[in-house]
Amino acid sequence: MYLEIRILEKSSNRVKLYLKDIPLHVLNSIRRTMIADVPTMAIDTVVFTVNSTIFYDEYIAHRLGLIPLTSEAALEKYKPPEECREASERGLFTEDCFVKLDLEGENPPSSNSIITLYSGDLRTSDPDVKPVYDKIPIAILSPGQMISFEAYARLGRGREHAKWSPVSVAAHKFIADISIDNEKCRAPDCTDCINVCPRNILIIDNDRVKVSSDRIFDCSLCKVCEEACKYRAIKINWRKDEYILLVETTGALSPKRVLLEAIKVLESKLDSLVESLKMEGITK
Amino acid sequence: MLFPVRCFTCGAPIGHLWEEFKRRVEAGEDPGKVLDDLGVKRYCCRRMFLSHVEIAYELLNFPKVS
Repeated sequence: MYLEIRILEKSSNRVKLYLKDIPLHVLNSIRRTMIADVPTMAIDTVVFTVNSTIFYDEYIAHRLGLIPLTSEAALEKYKPPEECREASERGLFTEDCFVKLDLEGENPPSSNSIITLYSGDLRTSDPDVKPVYDKIPIAILSPGQMISFEAYARLGRGREHAKWSPVSVAAHKFIADISIDNEKCRAPDCTDCINVCPRNILIIDNDRVKVSSDRIFDCSLCKVCEEACKYRAIKINWRKDEYILLVETTGALSPKRVLLEAIKVLESKLDSLVESLKMEGITK
Repeated sequence: MLFPVRCFTCGAPIGHLWEEFKRRVEAGEDPGKVLDDLGVKRYCCRRMFLSHVEIAYELLNFPKVS
């Protein structure tokens, strides 16, 4: 059995999919896996050698952690999060786990302007792992101030810290099933439902209230039209097993990769469950 | 302090957009239109821009004692 999938919207960091015949719990598992279990690269440890700026070390370290790093190639290249986490706790910054990013910045005492250091100024040890955006300010320096640090990035998962989550939005929604009883409806004399609809789903066509076919996916099922209708002619329901999945990434991975990777992670979890059942002798 | 790297609510990266936003608003453009143009759609991300105060630049006026 195949699902029906249609791409409704697509850009470099955002995709909107229409899915038919997929059970809600399956779709929700995939969605939650995307948020919490797909690995990406992010800075985890920062070692400061000099910091005479007005910012505390931990403030800068926190900002660095939140900078999205390109992780497309890193997923194959580096060890999985579970192994690297241990290495990080023991302070072993090995090359098979960590990417080193360093930055040295100084505003000479003789200058009379303020210097801003950006994410693009970070020098990376692996060209495949670099900040997605070059213009994120890290710190500002007034004359005479200096900063120098080494930052170590590793793979991690969203469940450990949200900075490792590859998505900023992963959401699914129902699709409305709007039925209009033309015997009860008093259009075009009454257009209350059209006037109250916040998403402009309803239109008047041939003196009858109709659902605009290209706007139907925008319906939020708020049911304001139901309440507004004095004649109880409009009824809002939702279509069974038809959903819209919206994924917006942070730029670390492409939406396609996030979806495929989430399915892979989910699959391996189910496989390990089956393996454990076999080990216990519950199944063959 | 500095403009946040990400939106507090949804986690979308926004730090790289701040300087363009600031420049264009100071040049007299309507903040709402600039945000639409930059692709900042949700109101959680939009308030990050509209309510931000650049205190870090004030702090630079004070000498650091240490």
